[in-house]
Amino acid sequence: MEAFNNLMYGFGIALEPINIAYVFAGVFAGTIIGMLPGLGPISALALMIPITFSMEPSSGLILMAGVYYGAIFGGSTSSILLNAPGVAGTVATSFDGYPMAKKGLAGKALAIAAYSSFVGGTVSVIFLMLVAPLLSKVAVSFGPPEYFALMVLGLTAVVSLSDKSLVKGLIAAVIGVMISIVGIDLQTGTERFTFGSAHLLDGIDFLVVALGIFALAEVFYMLLRGGGGKEAPRNAIGSLKLSRPEMREIAGPVGRSSVLGFFTGVLPGAGATIGSFLGYSMEKRIAKDGDTFGQGNIKGVAAPEAANNAACTGSFVPLLTLGVPGSGTTAVLLGALLVMGINPGPMMIEQRPDVFWGVVASMYIGNIFLLVLNLPLIPLIAKILDLPRPLLLSMILIFCMIGVYGLSFSVFDLLLLLGFGLIGLGMRLFGFPAAPLILALILGDLMEESMRRALQISGGDWGIFLEKPISLALLAVALFSLSAPVIKKRLKREVIDT
Amino acid sequence: MPSLSIKRLSVLALPFAAFSAIAGQVQAQEWTPDGSVEFIAPANPGGGWDTLVRTMSRVIQQEELADENYAAINVPGGGGAVAWAQIARDEGNPQKLFATSPPMILVPLAGASRYDHTDFTPVARLITDYSIVLVDADSDYQTLEDLLNAMEEDPGLSVGGGSAPGSMDHISIAGLASAAGLDAAAVNYIPFSGGGDAMTNLMGGHIEAVITGAGESVGQLGEGSQLRALGVSSEERLGGELAEIPTYKEQGVDYTFDIWRGVMGTPDMPEEAVSYYENLFAEMLETDGWQEARDQLGWLDAYQDSEAFGAFLDDQQALFSNVLSELGLLGE
Repeated sequence: MEAFNNLMYGFGIALEPINIAYVFAGVFAGTIIGMLPGLGPISALALMIPITFSMEPSSGLILMAGVYYGAIFGGSTSSILLNAPGVAGTVATSFDGYPMAKKGLAGKALAIAAYSSFVGGTVSVIFLMLVAPLLSKVAVSFGPPEYFALMVLGLTAVVSLSDKSLVKGLIAAVIGVMISIVGIDLQTGTERFTFGSAHLLDGIDFLVVALGIFALAEVFYMLLRGGGGKEAPRNAIGSLKLSRPEMREIAGPVGRSSVLGFFTGVLPGAGATIGSFLGYSMEKRIAKDGDTFGQGNIKGVAAPEAANNAACTGSFVPLLTLGVPGSGTTAVLLGALLVMGINPGPMMIEQRPDVFWGVVASMYIGNIFLLVLNLPLIPLIAKILDLPRPLLLSMILIFCMIGVYGLSFSVFDLLLLLGFGLIGLGMRLFGFPAAPLILALILGDLMEESMRRALQISGGDWGIFLEKPISLALLAVALFSLSAPVIKKRLKREVIDT
Repeated sequence: MPSLSIKRLSVLALPFAAFSAIAGQVQAQEWTPDGSVEFIAPANPGGGWDTLVRTMSRVIQQEELADENYAAINVPGGGGAVAWAQIARDEGNPQKLFATSPPMILVPLAGASRYDHTDFTPVARLITDYSIVLVDADSDYQTLEDLLNAMEEDPGLSVGGGSAPGSMDHISIAGLASAAGLDAAAVNYIPFSGGGDAMTNLMGGHIEAVITGAGESVGQLGEGSQLRALGVSSEERLGGELAEIPTYKEQGVDYTFDIWRGVMGTPDMPEEAVSYYENLFAEMLETDGWQEARDQLGWLDAYQDSEAFGAFLDDQQALFSNVLSELGLLGE
């Protein structure tokens, strides 16, 4: 009941005409930012800080939060249509979204992404509203050993993401971990794989690799095959409508991924990208038709989209209740809040209920706006596929380059992008799956750091990973998920033998 | 290529500069930027340098202190080294400034930058923050002495911080340990990806203590807090919400540590430009707009003009290189 009263209070703030305008402006700007590959919410939010300074803090946060979840919402569009992730959190969406677009089902893929994002966003706001203060304890309970165990569990998904050849999948994953190691090692300050270049000291940005290996490699591949041929996207975008069985089919994945995504988002440092991968690989394992994931399975679009939007909302838990930013984007939001005179932390919900409940209520409104805004736009945006092939390919190329250049204003990163495009092409030609590489790249960093931090705390004693109950449980699940297929096979064989 | 054209312009401007130098002090005082000023944060949006740059350019604009725009530009990479390398090539450009703080000294000392503070022109020191030592609210450590004694007994005691080994937080705690008679190199410093990350781990009981910036910790302290502050590294007690926290000195450890922030310019920036910016920033510190933002961000004014700031930087370098060599982290 108390939550209800608070929510009504929040709606009182969020429904003020000026705040409705801010929500709309925020999600609209976010959608556009998200759709353009590489152009992420971080730089957009940093640019907005001076604008929000003179606003009421609740209005300022409503606007900026709108940009953030709007970008995650809109980021699926270019993943599906162009195989170029709009923001880091939507990479997993392209695994099945792009194959759907190639089959002429772009409209349906975009619609599923929009519905799943809406459900993921809304379910997670309900969680945020009901349990945010309690959840700050969950976020705090994850220390270095727990993070390490979670990353190990995440990495076991390499097995399911490896399509045909497990060996090739593992090779790709190792390369991904190696790329994640590039740069100054946080634990010792030693440079690794930088070849003396100052440009590599901070490591390689995830988006440079993702855009290269997915979007650019696709462009090269089409060029090699003489401009596309049969496999390239067709002009037809297909119907937006989902049939009843299809609705039923995605309901489970969307629900599960919303919850999983939200809890991933609550952990500082995990966030939308890891959330979407976990959602995708979980559904791939659960699904009876798991082997059709990667070929345009609708569940493969629904799961990551629900998860990344839920994780985005989840990341507001540590931000608002602990004052701890879990990602680059929330770090900018924290900076903006401080400038506006708000100190997010354990006392914030009591001290500034207008900000907390106003933002929570505005998220309900923002998610509805996003759905209403995105659905009618789908046929228009999908027209991009009508463009003549040479134009479309050069457009993808330019978008990727603008996106990467916008990250760091560094020409060096453009060369890296090109390099990863060629690596991606090579991987395609020789049948190496790209998803394990990307997954290992995302998880590798945090996994290594957490492991070494944990060992430093324990004085080198590996037992720390087994003494902590959460870490032990996660490792057990990881072991189980690795051995389950083997055991299943054995059992089957025995049955046949006898 | 804007940088090229600026260089060409500056070559053209050389005779004029010489002329105005001859013409004397009066004209030197009248120098103003020609068009907008590039104000570089050598890091990604969201960090300390970025906040300083954006806050300053906003205040200068809002208070109408200058006609020109101070354009905030992020050049991330290498803990600042990428931006420094870029700025070092722009010798004498009077319209390029950048935010600076202890990493300007520490990164070069660690051997990770070809350029150090002597390659650039100090413009002004503006603000400072201090280190704060935190433990869990339920912890047995009530005073700094309790913690230091425990560290002496058990060198494995984990102290988290928000930056890499050999950078600010590590130097700060190592210096404190050394001043208290402990072995600086024996401190079990655990680097996290930020002060917030370290504080979360402290709340979760994963580490024993945390060293971080006092400004960064304000939101975590006060009523109902899960953390307890044992000491701050300032000369005298801080104001506001941190007024109850004793200094190290009060607790018998003669040691202070400043997390200063200031502005530097391109190598050999013309004197008249430097004095223009000195005056502009000194004026900015007096405005209401600045004081409001400063208080909200937990900063303290600590103005020094170009000359004093330059001398201060040399002192800091000597101090830091001592601590780093004690830690065995001095680069070659």
